[in-house]
Amino acid sequence: MDEAMKNELFEQYNRRTHLLGRIACTITLVMLLAAPFVMGAVLGAMPNLAAFGKGFFAVGLVWLVSCVVEYLVYVPMLGSGGSYLAFITGNLINMKIPCAINARDIVGAKSGTAENEIISTLSIATSSLVTILVLAVGVALLIPLHPILQSPVLQPAFDNVVPALFGAMAYKYYRRNMKTAIWPLLFMSILFILVPSLTGSTSFMIIPSGALAIAIAWLRWRKNA
Amino acid sequence: MSVIAQLNSPAMYLICGVIILFVAAVCIFFMVRAYKAGVAIGMDTAKMKRTIIASATFTILPSVGILLGVIALSGSLGTPLPWLRLSVIGALHYETQVAEAAAEQIGLSGLSASEMTLQAFTTIALMMSFCIMWGMLFSILFTKRYSSRLKNGGSKKAGNRPGFGDTAMTAMFIGLVSAYIGSYIGGFVSSGGLFHFAGSLMPIAVVVIAGLVMAGFLWLAEKKNAAWVDSFSIAGSMILAMLGAVVLNPIL
Repeated sequence: MDEAMKNELFEQYNRRTHLLGRIACTITLVMLLAAPFVMGAVLGAMPNLAAFGKGFFAVGLVWLVSCVVEYLVYVPMLGSGGSYLAFITGNLINMKIPCAINARDIVGAKSGTAENEIISTLSIATSSLVTILVLAVGVALLIPLHPILQSPVLQPAFDNVVPALFGAMAYKYYRRNMKTAIWPLLFMSILFILVPSLTGSTSFMIIPSGALAIAIAWLRWRKNA
Repeated sequence: MSVIAQLNSPAMYLICGVIILFVAAVCIFFMVRAYKAGVAIGMDTAKMKRTIIASATFTILPSVGILLGVIALSGSLGTPLPWLRLSVIGALHYETQVAEAAAEQIGLSGLSASEMTLQAFTTIALMMSFCIMWGMLFSILFTKRYSSRLKNGGSKKAGNRPGFGDTAMTAMFIGLVSAYIGSYIGGFVSSGGLFHFAGSLMPIAVVVIAGLVMAGFLWLAEKKNAAWVDSFSIAGSMILAMLGAVVLNPIL
């Protein structure tokens, strides 16, 4: 098969991905927003819309800003198919993003290529299915699993899933990019030391940290041109 | 019937189960499509299988962490809703925070089983679903246009060198990891007062152990030609680092 044919096939795949992704997102969104009302009908108690409105203005707006930032930052990392799936299934920072980046790294896919798009979609679809499966099995076995998962001995392990994940990923990415990584790491450490209250907003601090890392990477990339 | 028994009724499982099943079907559909497209454009099937294995092993441990979130919320919200929320769009850090805030807005002192009413529950469910829907809404409205812009921007090359796209993605990820590790360092040094060093050292210790184990895995993969190790390196590093947390807990 020649390159032109491959490109045409991939373009066709991509166009369908957008169409199917939009359909899947729309159906999921409608079901999710309808669910509380269906539950209300079953339970005989509809949501209190006045309290919902107050709650939305109290905390919902903060999450709106967070979602805008996540969307702008993560779509380039995940590609089209991966983005649709990731925004449907959630848990982006603690699972989908590292998972897709790890898969891309293992197979050596380059960003913006057809291979990257396929690998990212496969990775996020697999990750989402495994999560759905683990949660379904966990919910089915909730009573027998409860004492094990909530055992005080194992609590430190489950309290540190995210540091364990980022520790492993940090070594993998820092070792080849130390001259880029040292600056955001230093900057963020100093910032969190001087303003410890920011630890509650770490997901927002990804933006300045990422911007700094990209700026340094760009300067080094230009220098090596 | 008590409120919590009603929240755990078969009807509630059915409502949530149908949505989760739909999302699982979407994932399988996208996965099969991507695999077939990969084969059609001549991609190495071994690479695609490796992606699937690596992603599956990678996901198991964080998923158990998410299951703990379901258990934590099930005490006050029953099991079906947290199961739905954490299977679809949800995020562990988000759900508890929004559920707590919603509970306060409807007059409860917080998320508590003893105060929960059916109306409080459906209001909390609506707020949890509504406040995090934006990523999905933006995907419907903007992903097609945003992706094509990125593609046009990313295809520009400087001479014979690859574009900046790959470097930028890696740098963004380094920024993400650095923000979290910086927060652990800041938490240890200043969370109990500026430079009091009274915070928890545990997350830093876990980061270091995970990094060291990962170094071992990469050494095996690169120097001992054990490339298969790569697929399990993240999951293996995480397990050992989490075990390290259990061992270090009495000391730290």
